[in-house]
Parts: sequence; C-alpha cells; structure tokens
Amino acid sequence: MAEQGAAAIPSQARSKQLRACLLCSIIQLPVDFRRNGCPNCEELMQMKGNSDRIATCTTTYFDGVISVIDPENSWVARWQRTSKYVRGLYAVRVKGRVPEDVEAELDNRGIKYRPRDQTDHD
Amino acid sequence: MQKKRKKRRKRILKMMRTMKKTKKRKKNLQVRKARSEQRCAAIHKHSTCHKLWRQHRHKRSIASRFVDLEAEVSDEDEEEEEDEDYGADGFIETVDDVEDDGGRRHHAALDSRLQVEEDQTPEQIARDLSRRYGGRAAVRYTGDMNEIPQRLLMPSVHDASLWQVRVRPGRERDIVFSLMRKAIDVEYSARPLNILAAFQRDSLPGMIYVEARSSQQVSQACNGLVGVFPSRGIQLVPIEEMASLLQIKKQDLTVTPGSWVRIRRGKYAGDLAQVMDITENGEDVGLKFIPRIDLNPRDDGPLDGRKRKKTATATGTMRPPQRLFNYEEIIKVWGRKHVSKRNQVFVFQNDTYKDGFIEKDFKLSALILEDVNPTLDEITQFTRRQDGAEADGVVDLSIIAEASRKAAISVLQPGDHVEVFEGEQAGVHGVVDEIHQDVVIITAIGVDIDGQKVELPARSVRKRFKPGDHVKVMTGQNADETGLVVSVADNVVTFLSDMSMQEVSVFSKDLREAAEVGSGTNIIGNYELHDLVQLDAQTVGVIYKTERDSFRVLDQNGQVRLVQPHQISMRRDSVRAIATDSEGHELRINDNVKEIDGEARKGRVLHTHQSFFAFLHNRDIVENGGVFVTRTRSLASLAPKGNLLKAGTDLSKMNPALAPPTGGMVGSGNMGRGPRDRDIGLTVCVIKGPHKGYVGTIKDTNGPAVRVELRTGNKVITLEKDKLRERLPNGKLVQLTGRGSSSGSGSMGPPTNYGGGARTSNPYAGGPQNGAGSRTPGWGAGRTPNPYGEGRTPAWNASSRTPNPYAEGGKTPAWNASSRTPNPYAADGGRTPAWNANSRTPNPYASGSGSGGTSATWGGATPGRNVGGWGGATPGRPAASGWGSGVDSWSDNTGWGASSAPTPGAATPGFNSATMTPGTTWPASTPGYVFGAGGNGNNLSAPTPGGIPSTYRPEADDIDLDDMWIFDSAFANYQQRIKVQVHGTRVSNYLNGDFEGKTGRIKAATKSSAEFDQSALIAFDSGEERSILVRYLLPAPPEFLHSEALVLAHKDEKNKGKVVIIREVPDDIIPVSTMSDPSFVFEVKRDFLAALYKDQ
Repeated sequence: MAEQGAAAIPSQARSKQLRACLLCSIIQLPVDFRRNGCPNCEELMQMKGNSDRIATCTTTYFDGVISVIDPENSWVARWQRTSKYVRGLYAVRVKGRVPEDVEAELDNRGIKYRPRDQTDHD
Repeated sequence: MQKKRKKRRKRILKMMRTMKKTKKRKKNLQVRKARSEQRCAAIHKHSTCHKLWRQHRHKRSIASRFVDLEAEVSDEDEEEEEDEDYGADGFIETVDDVEDDGGRRHHAALDSRLQVEEDQTPEQIARDLSRRYGGRAAVRYTGDMNEIPQRLLMPSVHDASLWQVRVRPGRERDIVFSLMRKAIDVEYSARPLNILAAFQRDSLPGMIYVEARSSQQVSQACNGLVGVFPSRGIQLVPIEEMASLLQIKKQDLTVTPGSWVRIRRGKYAGDLAQVMDITENGEDVGLKFIPRIDLNPRDDGPLDGRKRKKTATATGTMRPPQRLFNYEEIIKVWGRKHVSKRNQVFVFQNDTYKDGFIEKDFKLSALILEDVNPTLDEITQFTRRQDGAEADGVVDLSIIAEASRKAAISVLQPGDHVEVFEGEQAGVHGVVDEIHQDVVIITAIGVDIDGQKVELPARSVRKRFKPGDHVKVMTGQNADETGLVVSVADNVVTFLSDMSMQEVSVFSKDLREAAEVGSGTNIIGNYELHDLVQLDAQTVGVIYKTERDSFRVLDQNGQVRLVQPHQISMRRDSVRAIATDSEGHELRINDNVKEIDGEARKGRVLHTHQSFFAFLHNRDIVENGGVFVTRTRSLASLAPKGNLLKAGTDLSKMNPALAPPTGGMVGSGNMGRGPRDRDIGLTVCVIKGPHKGYVGTIKDTNGPAVRVELRTGNKVITLEKDKLRERLPNGKLVQLTGRGSSSGSGSMGPPTNYGGGARTSNPYAGGPQNGAGSRTPGWGAGRTPNPYGEGRTPAWNASSRTPNPYAEGGKTPAWNASSRTPNPYAADGGRTPAWNANSRTPNPYASGSGSGGTSATWGGATPGRNVGGWGGATPGRPAASGWGSGVDSWSDNTGWGASSAPTPGAATPGFNSATMTPGTTWPASTPGYVFGAGGNGNNLSAPTPGGIPSTYRPEADDIDLDDMWIFDSAFANYQQRIKVQVHGTRVSNYLNGDFEGKTGRIKAATKSSAEFDQSALIAFDSGEERSILVRYLLPAPPEFLHSEALVLAHKDEKNKGKVVIIREVPDDIIPVSTMSDPSFVFEVKRDFLAALYKDQ
C-alpha cells in the first residue's frame, strides 16, 4: 500500500490526547492532525494546521479502537464504512457530530451524513 | 505491491498473447506492446497506491469506475480517453470470450490511461500526479459507502471471521495498537501479518477481536505480543454475533445545562456541581459549585506559585470546608493582589468566582453523572446568595426534582398512589396498575375520568401523599423514619416524625405509606435494642429504645439515661451469666420469671448483672419500653425447669463428690465436676517412657491420663498413670495407691490406705475411682475367690449390653431420684422404683413384670447360677439385699433370665470378686458398682458401661447375698428356722413350677461336693416336704411387726447372723433390734432379712 495514504499511528495507546475524527473516525494524536490533517476527509474538514478546527472536528470521546490493516478486504472496515479509507486506527464509536458547515457541505454534495455515534439504525 | 505489479504484467502479457492470435492488427499490437512496456515502466515509476486502489475497485464495482474516473481523471484527458476507449473496446471485443466483462473494462481503462500518459511528458505526468495526490489538495471525500444501509453490510460467509483473543485486562488498546504497528513493520517481510483488522471495545475488558481467515493467522499475529494469552483460546465469533460486537453501546450519559453532577476526584471529590455549559464536542463541562478555599494557608505572606502548590498538596489531607467565595475574607487572608476582579467575576488562583461560586471547566470523564442524588441541603446551598440571603426566598426544587425524577421512576410500585404533575393529564391522580419501563398505567380517581386507565410517562407522575397519611422514609438519611404527613408541597412532603417529634421534609419519591410506627432499625452502630451496655465502670444498663443516633438506657439503679453511642464503653454479654433466684434456682437469661414481692411484675430475663441485678422485659409494661430492673433474689421462676431441685432429686448428681471424675462414661451432659483427684499435687516420678526418671507434680488427672508438671524444664506433659510412681520425700517410689491404674490384672496393689476403713466416712469413695474406669488392683487381691464362675456372668454381661433393669437391680430406692423414664415397675409394691430408674431405653421386660410369665423367664438363669455353686448359699440369701428389693422383685425380674442367655463368657472377674467378698471391709461392692467398674476398664466386653457409674447410690453399703447363703456358717444355728421362698422355677420349669412362690422352712441343708447341685429339704407351709435346688431358694422377708428375723448380711459384720425383732412395719429398710438389747436399733435392708419360723 502506499505509505502516503496511511494514517499516523500514535505511539502511545493510552494517551489521553488521542482524538477521533468525527467524520471518518480515524484516531490520531492532535499533533498528527495538525501536521497532516485527516488522511481521509481532510478535503472537507480542513484541519491541517488549524488547532481550533481540530478541536471541533475531532473528539477524545470515542469508544473502541480498531486497527484496520487491510481496509479493502476487512469486513470490520466495511461495517464501519472505512474500507475505502487509509489503513490505520479507527474508533468503533465516536460521540458527537461534525460541525455544521461540514454537514452542509456533505448535504450539498448529496452525501448522506452518518454520525459515528451509532445512533441511526438502518 | 510487487505482487500486484506482477499480476498486472501477467495480465498484460496474457492480453498480448491473445492479441497475437489475431493477425488483423499485428502491427498495431507490436506498437502497443512496445508502448505498454514503456508505459508500465512509467507507471511503476510514478504509480501511487491510489491508482492501484482505484484499479482494484474497478474489479469490485463497475459503477464505481465512473465515479472514480470522474474524480480522478482531469478534464483535458477525457476526450482522448474516450477516443481510445472506443478503439480499445472494439479491439478487445474480439477476445471477450477470453476475458470477462470486468476484465475487459479494466483493460479498457488501463489502455486509455496508457494512451493518455503516453502523450504526456514524464514531467507533465509527475506534475499531474503531485497536483492530484500531494500537497493540500486532499482526496475528495466521497462518502460513497454512506448510502448503503447498515443491514446490507452484515457479514457473509465470504468474509473473514472474527476471533476472540484473551488479553490482559487493561492492555486491550495497547495490543490493538501493537498489532497495527506490527502489521506495518512486517508488511514487506517474508511473513506479513495476514490479519485484516483487530479491535477492542471498552465494555469488553480482557479481550480483543481479530479479523482473519484462520485462527492460525491470529495466533501468528499475536505471537510475541506481551499481554496476549493465545493459550487461553482463540475463539471464533459466530457470524451472527459479529455485528453486535461493534454495535455495543454504552448507556449514553448526557449532561445538559442545569443538571447536577458530582466531581469524581481532587479537592472537590464528591462535591455537587451544577452544569452551566458544555462545549460543542461534549468533552468539557462548565460547572458551578461551592469552592473550598483554604483560609488558613500554612505560609503567610506572599508566596510564589510553586511554593503555594506545595502547601496545597501538603494540606491535601485536610481539605478546606465548603464555603462560598467571599472577597473580603480572601483578601484578608491571601492579600489583595491575589484576587483580581473583572466585571462581576473574581479571579483567584486562576479560578473564577462568581456570586460566591467557583466556575470551572471539567472534563466529562472527571465527573460522576449517574446516581448523583443531590440532597435537599446541598441544593439549598446552591440557591443561597453570596451574602447569605436566600435566593428568591424559595428553594427551587424543580432542579432537584428533575435530577431525581429518574430515580423516582424506579421507586414506583403498583398500588402506589400517584398524581400527574405535568402534561395533559396534570392534576389527575390515581393508583398505579402497571409499570412498563417508562410507562405507567394508572387507574384514575375522581374527576370525570374516574376509573379509567390512563397511560402516562413515568416521569410525569409522582407519589401522592396527603396530610394525615402515615408514611415511612425508604431511602436517604432519614431512612426508616416514620411519621404523619403534615403538609405536601409539590414533591416535598413534610411529616412529623414519630420518633423525634420533629418535622422532616423529604421527597415524596422516598416515601411509602406505612402502618408501622417507629424506627425500623433497632441497631445503631454496634449496639442493638436490649443490649446490655457498660456505661462506666460502675454502671451498666440495658438499651430499651433506640433513637436516631442515641439510645435510652435503663441502668442497674433504675435510672433512665439518654446515651450517645460513643458514651458506651462496651457491650456486655450475659448469655452465660447465672444468677440465683429467690428459691435458689439458677436464673439465666430468657427465663420467664416473676417478682415475688413488690409489684409482682412478670417478665423475661434480658440480662443479669453481677448475679444480683436482673433486667427483665415485659411487653405489657409501657414504661421504659417494657424493660425494668430488679434484684435476682426477688424473682421466682414462672416455669419450673428440668434442672430445678425437686424432692427426691438424685443426690448423687448434686454431690460432686459422688460423680465419677470422668464425665464421659455417664453420657449425661449434666455431670458435675469430679472431686479433686487425690493424686493431684503428688510428687511423682516417671518410671516408663521417654520421660523416665523425671520428677514432677501431678497437676491434673483425667481418668488414666495425668498431667504432670515436670520439675525440669517447667513443662507439663500428659502421661498415663501407670507410668508414674509416687515419690515419697525419702526418695522411695510408691505405687499411686488406689488410684486405679488401668490394669485389670487385679493382682497388684496393696490395698493399704484404700481399705474400707480409709473411706468409711464416705462409703462411696470407691465410686469415683471405679467410675474412672479403673479397678484398683487392690480389689482383686482381696476378692479374687469367685465362687460363681461362669454361671452367673452371662446375665450380667447381657445386662451390660442392654439397659437391663436388672443391672440396676441391686439398686435401692435412691435410684428413683435419677429416674428418667417412667418407671414401669412403679405399680409393683415390692419393687423399688429404682429398678428401672436408670434404664434409658425401654425395658424389654417391662411388660412381663408382675405376671406369671416372669418366672418362666427367670428359669433360664437359674441353672447358670447354680452351676456357679450357688446352691449352698441358700440360707443366706434372704439377707442379701444386694439383689434387689426382695423375693417379690426377683420373681418379676424377667430381665435376669432373658438376658442371661446371649453372652456367656463375658464374665467379669471383677464382678464376681466384688460381689462375692463376704467379710470384706469393702462395703460398697454392689453388683452394680462392680459391674460398672468392670465395664469401665477391664476385660468385660460390655459395650454400654455408660450407664453404670450413674448406678452409684448412697446406699451402696448393702452387701450382696451369696448364692450359697443357705450354707453360711453364720446362719447354721438358725438354719432350721429360716423361711425361704421358691423363686424362679417357672422359668426353667423346675418341678413344673409347682412350687413357685411357696414358702417353707429349711428342714435340712447340707453342702454337697461342688460337682453336684446343691439342694435343701424344704418343709413347705402347705405341709409337703421336698428337696429343692438352693438356687431357687430365696429368703422370705419378714412381714410382720415384732416378728423375728435373721440378719443375713449387714454392713456391720457383727450383726450378720443375729436374730432381730422387726421394729417397724416392714419396708425396704427395716429398723430392727436384737432381742437381747432392744435399745440397740439398727437398720437392715429388707432383702437382707429372712423371716424366721418359731423355734420348734
């Protein structure tokens, strides 16, 4: 796989700072979000270099960690709808919703927003 | 990566091969081949993962191809691409039997791209790529998977499986991270990880889940990771459970502004706080709560931050009390420059204070959101203004009500009276019928919908009470308080406590209607109602009432005290205390007694104190909760108890001196303590065993075991008595005399100080020792001659096995006292009740008593006796009281005969020797006595010696009658006059039993040689003369006052053979006097007297 597409793997699993992206649920350290943005949805979230944006678009309030090693073939990744994302660490469940502007943009593009807090069932 | 490249090259080559088949475009093909090779190189040079990925996706979804193309191919390329596509399509169509549709499209796409890139310079391509994938321009977020409903993502059989792996709890996340890192590390190694994903859930501690095709791949992946326990099994997760593992959802803890939380840790741990605001992502919560500012900082004066921090931690153990922020106070203590003021907000030590409260942001994880249960007090504090005035006068309970509403739902029960306080039905009240989680169905009462069932959300109803209801508090700090409702304001109910007579306000949710009065608990701290407690060194008392946190105690002087738990020094226990009541009976707790003087109050003894005071309890007495104190000496038992003294109590039981020292033999629990063993205190020397030669002092004895305190080593050891010798002051070793070494030899032991003389003062003195299971050797020596041999023993032995009344037959009326079973012989005049007295099992012969059948059974025994050489003894028999109460009793004593059969050979020498010793100074050797002795330690096989020691009786002075009494030389002068009675013939059918019971005088009795049955010629009263075997002859007891009788046996040997006059109406013990000296009256047992005919 292309190295450039992989997420930064935090060195400290216990770190309290670990943050999960509200849109794609990838888990990274804030410093990585700031340096590289979100490897999956940076286009929408625009977190790179923007600490405030990181604070609003990611959260420490998540539950369960998935290490997605082979996103395309993994059922877990498919279930989590991360199979087209880079491999890396993802949260099973992320509390919170993306900021409104992101939600509006998704709406504009006709993309259904699925919060990662497992509130919707279909 | 390499794999894929290879794959693609292979595919291209394959394509080439098929192309070769068609000659049509051979040239073209060659060109393409060259191109494609060139292109391949170019692609390899610049290829990105994304490209490959895209290609991959083509394989998966035809539709997505277009999406991808749109997204990734720039506009300017498109036209060319289309052109190429067209051509390529046409070309490949010819080989579509080889390639599948997807493959064809793939090739088309590949082809088009090759075409495009072919037309660009490498520089252009590089630029293009970097524009496309590098830099700011990120991958466009498509969210194309978001449209698929979740249910369609359910795992199928084609998906890899999930495997559960056990890990060290707490390390789950680390291991998932490690797996990720490991996967990256070994990706290009020879053995890349074959797992697809791994995850962990916080709610599933101790396990992670790994997605892989086989468990082997899982264990390979986990190999080498610390904290993974593959040995505990890698378990397959069933396919239907896979999705639910990812769907586990923690109960969402939501905080809303205004809700109440508690702070989890730190200086404010446990403090209630109110949520003011929440950050957008829900992580930080702005709280308002009462500060705890240290108003006594350890170091006065200005402090730098570091130092202050230090002191803060140092005083961390003592956290300052909650107190609203007061500007003046703070600057007084801390100085003005520590506090700054901005608008209405004070800033002190980096915290902001507003209206006296501290306002601070906390992480959500640092807060307790569940079970906050704010109390009324806490809430009230929040409503207070900084200046101490009540905010808006009234406590706004809606806040707390909201917080507690959740809890309120759970306390609702069917049957509760509720009212609706919000919603459309507000104001309706009714009774709860059903509860379905958050929905309650109530039956409305009153108004127009009376009787209808209404479905309501549980949160909008609350328990309803009205003034006058009697309620009980179920939870909270007032729990178990009961009282009468005086007012109801919304959900706050005020009631008058039954206990403290104070008004208590509680939430209605915490209340239930209850009929009971008073505190449900009688326990405060370690003390309980009716406990005897020590108040001070002189005073004890009984708790008769418990209050909220105090007791009412009645002390031994009758005074009532209000006592706090800390004023009680200890709880006393009088369970084992025994006092004596007015009648001298023992008084224990729980006895029902009454006062014999004063108010004659009755009650149950709760406690006794110092055997003098008794605390009684009687529910009928209102005063002091029914507890009162009296003196034990003024009490009498209401219900006589079994252990009370009654007339005729077995004195042997009461007198410890009579009880054998070993309680175990008797088997009755109420054995007293044995007398102090005479050996205790003796200086002894060990003569055997490892301690041989040691000298010590006997400290205690227990049967044959002795505890000896050695002179050397200050050691107490347990030894057997026969290993000891008394060490006299002169160094001589002497046998421990008379103190029953357990040897049954009967050969040793000088009866020196053991003789009757030594013990005459206590005729039973021998008893204890025998009871101890040891026959003293001394006895045997004195008594060895055993004229009876086998003949008699069977019976004895038999009786020893069963509770044969005969075994106790020799017993005198004293037995009666210890009788524990109804005496079946009581009706027999001649018999002493004692007979059965000690029989603890039903007497098998009881039914035959007094009937004709008895003599029949008797017969069986007789020959045995005779064989033993009894016959010659006939004349003496009547005097032998040891056999029972008399001739009558013999005839009825079926036990003898019946039991004689089963166990011959169990003859105890001890028995015989003891019973037989005429003329011995040992007075106490009654059959029972000796028997007991034998049973305890000798070669008697009797298994039930237990009952034997209890057969001792004060009257043990009786002497046994020799079977050959008739031939006793002492009676020779009167032999012709002795009145005898035939007894026991029916049992053996001797002479058809015709002579049974007949009396007559002995005409002639001469002892024949031992081989022959002894017989005597009897002239019966009926006029017949007949020779009768002596063993059937018993002395006929005297029947009339002033008649003459012969003393067959007496404790005073001098009296034996004397002719006496009956002085009183014959009873069991008959006072007699000799004719020569009427003033010398002594008592003889009836059994030992034989009536005399007038001298012929």
